[in-house]
Amino acid sequence: MKAVAFDYARPRTVGGAIRLLSEKPDAKILAGGQTLGPMLNLRLAQPSLLVDITRIAELAEVEEAPDSVTLGATITHAAVEDGRVPDPARGLLQLVANGIAYRAVRTRGTIGGSLAHADPSADWLSCFTALEATVVIAGPFGRRYVPIMEFMRGALDTGLEHDELLVAIKVPKLSTRARYGYHKICRKTGEFAEAIGVAVDDPGLGIVRLVAGSTQGRPIVVDGIERLEAAADCIEAKLLAAGLGDDAYELSIHVAAVKRAIAGALAA
Amino acid sequence: MTRISLSVNGRPTSADVAPRTHLADFLREQLLLTGTHLGCEHGICGACTVEIDGEIARSCITYAVACDGARVRTIEGFDDDPMMTRLRQAFTQEHALQCGYCTPGMLIAARDLLRRKGGLGRNEIRIEMSGNLCRCTGYTGIINAIGAVMAETGVRQHAPASKSGWRGPAPGPEAGTCDAAELKGPPHAYQDAPAQTRPLSAASTRRPIKVTVGRLETIEGRTSLTQSFVLPYQRDAVWRILSNPVEVAGCMPGMVLDGPPLDGRATGRMEVRLGPIVASFAGEGTYERFDEDHRQVIEGKGSDRRSGSRASGRVEYQLLSTTLDGAGATEVQTRISYVLTGPLAQFSRSGLVRDLVARIGEMFAEAVDARLSGKHGPSARTTHLSAFRLMLRIITARILARFRSFQKKISH
Repeated sequence: MKAVAFDYARPRTVGGAIRLLSEKPDAKILAGGQTLGPMLNLRLAQPSLLVDITRIAELAEVEEAPDSVTLGATITHAAVEDGRVPDPARGLLQLVANGIAYRAVRTRGTIGGSLAHADPSADWLSCFTALEATVVIAGPFGRRYVPIMEFMRGALDTGLEHDELLVAIKVPKLSTRARYGYHKICRKTGEFAEAIGVAVDDPGLGIVRLVAGSTQGRPIVVDGIERLEAAADCIEAKLLAAGLGDDAYELSIHVAAVKRAIAGALAA
Repeated sequence: MTRISLSVNGRPTSADVAPRTHLADFLREQLLLTGTHLGCEHGICGACTVEIDGEIARSCITYAVACDGARVRTIEGFDDDPMMTRLRQAFTQEHALQCGYCTPGMLIAARDLLRRKGGLGRNEIRIEMSGNLCRCTGYTGIINAIGAVMAETGVRQHAPASKSGWRGPAPGPEAGTCDAAELKGPPHAYQDAPAQTRPLSAASTRRPIKVTVGRLETIEGRTSLTQSFVLPYQRDAVWRILSNPVEVAGCMPGMVLDGPPLDGRATGRMEVRLGPIVASFAGEGTYERFDEDHRQVIEGKGSDRRSGSRASGRVEYQLLSTTLDGAGATEVQTRISYVLTGPLAQFSRSGLVRDLVARIGEMFAEAVDARLSGKHGPSARTTHLSAFRLMLRIITARILARFRSFQKKISH
């Protein structure tokens, strides 16, 4: 349970981090280390260099615009949980943050680290998919903005190049008429979810978004839903059509998670 | 070794640490503060919980070097803390410990909960404390003790632990007197506006080919499945590529042959570098072709020295003439089976494997298609990227399975 030897660098700027990543293709970015730490200790990961990005001031900044909030990549789950950043989703982010792992993990685990790792069971992926957030990526060729559904390609697989850094996530603001529900099913509190359901209904923006997360790959967006009230009845058929039919247990647990998220939104 | 300066239990400390030394080892072995316990050593059990800049954290997955400039507080640093004194009494009264192994972490987490929240019910306290495992007490005494202290303290307003307003992992950019790593060189001029565009890889210019993957079966450790795809070329043309082992290897993401095959045998490796993980399966393979059936059987085995995993597999494919949009085309029907042993072996999630095989199949089919269309074959860079993606998927299964099986073990 001891990591193999690695070098450690601690750039002060995004440019400095990118330069280090460009020079060492097998370097790994260290943010809160709540996933990478265990991987290093288990020797699943053996990078030659860790680039610690937690001393880059810009990466924990918040930028609020009339229709969106951009959250820096190294903002911790605990900062969201404690309400130390504005919540563009009117409490949904706070609710989600509160349920991630345990407090001692949330104090160091970061939004950007979770997204870049792209574990299908991670809460933020499903949540931001339902909110149609955009990932901001910096690299040697400048910055690019990638919708979260395009950013994640599969389990632990993203569109990040080795010399790129996820710097922020831009989250659209929900309107005052929005309601939402979030439900995850875990065997043990704080463990990886077996199924995640997210329901966002915002008449102000004219959207009804249902997401089934913690699949084997990307979250499934249930499309063609016009009214949240009528959504629960067709979930099973929709998830079946989306390819969740291979395993009866998996299907039923995902249907349950989405239905509970819908119920949560309706009760709001 | 890297020089770090930090405060531990209020005392300024400087030390040389190897970057791989985690905070708990640093505290226990260099500072001899053995009150911090190590249970699982990968962030599951909570025994190693300490405070970093006033917020609780797992010291086994936080590296000492990352705490340069931080204020660390261990169980030894709470001796005079009134809340901790009261909690210790309550733990004694309620018989909240037996062997004591989890207790330092349990106390620090409980005190943090009392600092942040009040008025919680038993069930809520259980949920809040679920990141700290105890194998003796069944938790009842622990929950009783925390509940008793919480009843005395009443409902509290959560005050942020840090006044700096830093929202990232502690200690953040304001901390740290010696930043040796930064001395490696000044950051180069970095421009936000795109100065140039990233060159397109060969893979990104290929056209997509749809691959159908059949159901996956595992019998006695051997996993098998089928997949098929259609290429818009005559069978003889496709066979010219797919009957040639060098061409087949060239289209396979991440595969490099040591030299030309001889007498139906070849050696080579599947070399992959993927973000956190580097793996290289070296081994040998045999092939047997049946021209009259347009069929080939490839068998191979190899091992990854680094992870100590071994793999053996068999791929059999046959080409059938078909039509696509009214023109002559070829369907490639493939049957794949493999056995994987060692750390990489925890391939328990069928959905992931199907996804993986479809992905490999797509990359392979697109590479064959590119060859047939006269475009360039896979460049070194392409191979690398493809291999990257491919291996990530293998790793996914392994990591997820491993984490989950460990967590299940630990929570039963």
